[in-house]
Amino acid sequence: MGRKVAFIAASFGALALVGPAQARVEVQWWHAMSSVLGDKLNELVEKFNTSQDKYTVVAVAKGNYDEVTNGVIAAYRAKRPPEMVQIAERGYMTMLLSGAIVPVQDLVEQKGYKIDFLDFIKPVASFWSYKGRMSAMPFNSSTPIFWYNKDHFQKAGFDKPAETWQELEKQLYAIKSKGISECGTVLPGDFYWSLLENYSAINNQPYGTLANGFDGLGTEFVYNKTKVVSQVARLKKWLDDGVMQIAGQGFSPEQLFTSGRCSTFVNSTASHGNIERNATINWSATFLPHESDINPPFNSTIGGGAIWVMKGHTPERYEAVAAFLDFVAQPETQVWWHGATGYVPATNRAYALARERGYYKDHPTREIAVLQLSRGTPNENSRGFRFGNFVQTMLAQRQEVEAVFAGQKQPQQAMDDAVKRGNEILRQFEKLNAGKTPETERP
Amino acid sequence: MTLRLSIPWREPRAPVLQRRHGRGGSKAVPAAAAGTSRQSGRARPREEVGLKRANFGDGPGLPTLLLLPQLLILLFFFFIPSLRALMQSVLLSDPFGTSVQFVWFENFRSLLASSDYRQSIAVTFWFTVAQNVLTLGSALVLAFATDRIVRGRSAYRTIILLPYAIAPAIAGILWAFLFNPAVGPLAQVLHGLGIAWDPNLNPTDALILVTLAASWKHICYDYIFLVVGLLAVPVSLMEAAAVDGAGPIRRFVSIALPMLGPTIFFLTVMNFIYGFFETFAIIDAVTKGGPAGATNILVYKVFVDGFVNLDLGSSAAQSVLLMSFALICTLLQFRYFDRKVNYGV
Repeated sequence: MGRKVAFIAASFGALALVGPAQARVEVQWWHAMSSVLGDKLNELVEKFNTSQDKYTVVAVAKGNYDEVTNGVIAAYRAKRPPEMVQIAERGYMTMLLSGAIVPVQDLVEQKGYKIDFLDFIKPVASFWSYKGRMSAMPFNSSTPIFWYNKDHFQKAGFDKPAETWQELEKQLYAIKSKGISECGTVLPGDFYWSLLENYSAINNQPYGTLANGFDGLGTEFVYNKTKVVSQVARLKKWLDDGVMQIAGQGFSPEQLFTSGRCSTFVNSTASHGNIERNATINWSATFLPHESDINPPFNSTIGGGAIWVMKGHTPERYEAVAAFLDFVAQPETQVWWHGATGYVPATNRAYALARERGYYKDHPTREIAVLQLSRGTPNENSRGFRFGNFVQTMLAQRQEVEAVFAGQKQPQQAMDDAVKRGNEILRQFEKLNAGKTPETERP
Repeated sequence: MTLRLSIPWREPRAPVLQRRHGRGGSKAVPAAAAGTSRQSGRARPREEVGLKRANFGDGPGLPTLLLLPQLLILLFFFFIPSLRALMQSVLLSDPFGTSVQFVWFENFRSLLASSDYRQSIAVTFWFTVAQNVLTLGSALVLAFATDRIVRGRSAYRTIILLPYAIAPAIAGILWAFLFNPAVGPLAQVLHGLGIAWDPNLNPTDALILVTLAASWKHICYDYIFLVVGLLAVPVSLMEAAAVDGAGPIRRFVSIALPMLGPTIFFLTVMNFIYGFFETFAIIDAVTKGGPAGATNILVYKVFVDGFVNLDLGSSAAQSVLLMSFALICTLLQFRYFDRKVNYGV
C-alpha cells in the first residue's frame, strides 16, 4: 500500500514536471486480500497502471470480506462508493439485487471492449452471471481439492488416496490404526463449502429447489433429504473415532496438515502459496472424493471473489474501470495470477496458455482445480448456488452441524433444523426482494 | 436505617470513601425526587448546592458550557445511534438501503420465537453470572491477600493489574491457544489428568473457557476497587477485633467484607455490564460463538447478525433488547440488592 501511494505520488510528480499532460483518471478498488495475496494483488494493479498512461487503479485493502462488504455498504449509503469492490461468492444475490451495481458485461460492452465471456470456465461463468450475462468480473476463483501427505499413504501401503469416500475411509482408518499419523484428516474451517456444498455438486445432489435457486427467489433448501445427511454422519463418526480432528480457534487447520500431524486436508486450491511455503512434509493433492455409486462425478463449484462495479460514477471513470476489467480478463493476466496465487485461471484460453507453457509439468497439483471444475457438463445441481442471505443460512447450518459433532443432535434432526432455519432466512430475503429485477440500467 | 445511613455524608472521610458515597448518592437523588423517603440522600443536595455556589456562579451558562463536550459526545455516540437502532428495529431493509419495509414488531416477534435467540439469552445469563461470581471471588481473595503481604506488595499488585493492559482480542487468542486441545499446553495437562477437554467440540468446555478468559481479563478491575475499599476500613476496628481474638480470615469476613458492601455492589453492576457488552472481543477470538452456539452471547449475536449476515433489522432489534436487558438487570440490582447494602458502616 505504501509503495502504491509512493508510486502514485511519483507519477503525479512526474506529470506535474512535464507540464499540462493529460491527467490520469483515478479509480478505487476495495479488496479483501491480505498478506501474500494482498502483495500479489498490488503487483497486478501496478502492472495495469504501468501498462498504459490514461488510468490509475488504486487498490485499497479494507480488511476481510465482511469488512469490505460493510465498508462498501456504508460508502454507498453515504453516496461515496468506490468504483470497484471485491465481494465473496456468498454475497452474489445481495449484490445482484442491491440496485447499487452496474453489471460488468453491460459496462465492458458499452465501452467497446471485446471480452469473450463465453470463454470463461463454466462453473465460474454460471456462478457470476445472471441469465447468461456476467454480473461481476470473476477475479479470484477457487475450488476445494484434496491435499494429502504422500509419506503417510506410502507407509500404509497405498499409492495415493482413493477416489471414493468409501475406499478413502478405509485408508484413513488404516493409517490411524497403524499409528502412522495421529489423525487421518482435519476438519476444514469452511467445511460447509467443501464437504457439504461442493460434495452435493460433485455427487449430483440437489441443495435447494428451483435448480439451487437459479430459477427464482422461491427456492427452498432440500439437503436434509439427500446424501448430505449421511455425509454429516460420516464426519461425526470420523471425529468420534479420532480419524478426524478439529483444529479449533487459535490454530489453523492447515497447520495440522502442513506439520505432518494429520494425513489429509480438504481445502481450497488457493492455499497452494501457503502450503508450498509452510509444509515440512512431502505433500501432494488430488481430486475431491466422490460417492461410490456416483460415477462419473460431476464438477465442483467455485468459491472466492469477483469484482463488482458500483453505480454512481462519471463516464470517464467507467472508462478506466472497463479498461482494468479488460486487463484482468486477459489470458496473460490470468495465467500470472494463477501462478502467483493458486487461484484458477478463469478462462479456457488462459488455462490453455498455462498448459502450453508447460506450467503444470512443474506444478501438477495446480491443474487439479481447473480439471475438477471443468469436467463434464454442469447440471442444475453442480452449476452453483443462488441463495439469498447465503452467509446467514450457512452459519445456521454450521451451528447445526456443530450440534451433531457435540453429540446434541442426530444428523437427520440437525439437517432438518438447518433446512428449516435456512428456509425462514430465504423467505425473508424473498419478501424483501420480491418483484425486484437485477440491474439492467446501462451506465 | 435511615438515620444510620445518613450519618456518613457529614463525616469527613478518606477521599476514596467520598467517591464511593458519591456513587451511592447519585442514584439516591432521583429516588428522593420521586417522593420516597427510604433513601438517605437528603443531606447530600445541600452539600452540592454549596459546592455549586462556591464554584459556578449563578447563571446556567458556565455549567452548561462545561457539560457541553460530554453532552455532544453522548449525542453523537449514544443518542443518535440509539435512535437509529430503534428505528431500524422496526424495519426490514436490504443492506444497501434500496428497499425498506416497515414491519412493526416483526423483527422482535421472530427473534423471540427463534430457539437460536433463546439459547443466546440462556448462554448470556450463565456466562455473566458465572463470570461475575468468579471475577468477584478471585478479586476478593487477591485483595485480601494484598493486605497480608508485607514484602513486594507493589510488585504483587502490578502483576495482578497486568491483564487489564492486554487487549481483549490478544487475551482471547492466548487463552484459545493455551487450551487448544490439539496444541495447547494447558489442554495437555488436562488431558494428562484424564479430562476429555475439547472446547471445539464440547459446548460446556467452550463456555467454561470463555468464562475463564473473560473473568481473568476483568479480575484486575474488581481487584483495584476492592484493594482501595479495604484501605478505607478503619484500622481501629480491625485492631479491636484482633484484640478480641479474631483471626485474619474472621476479621476479613465479619468486618472488612460488610464494609465493602457498596464497592461489591457497584462491581456487581459493572461486571454485568462488562459481561453483556465488553466480552465481544474475547468471544470472537476464543470461540466465535461456537460450538453449536454454545458461547453465542447476545452482544456477539448482534455483531454476527448485523455485520456478517447483514440482517440489519434483526440486529437492531437485538441491540434494543440487549439494552433493555442490561437496564432491567441494573434496575433489579438496585431495587433488591441495594437495600441490603450497608452504606453506613
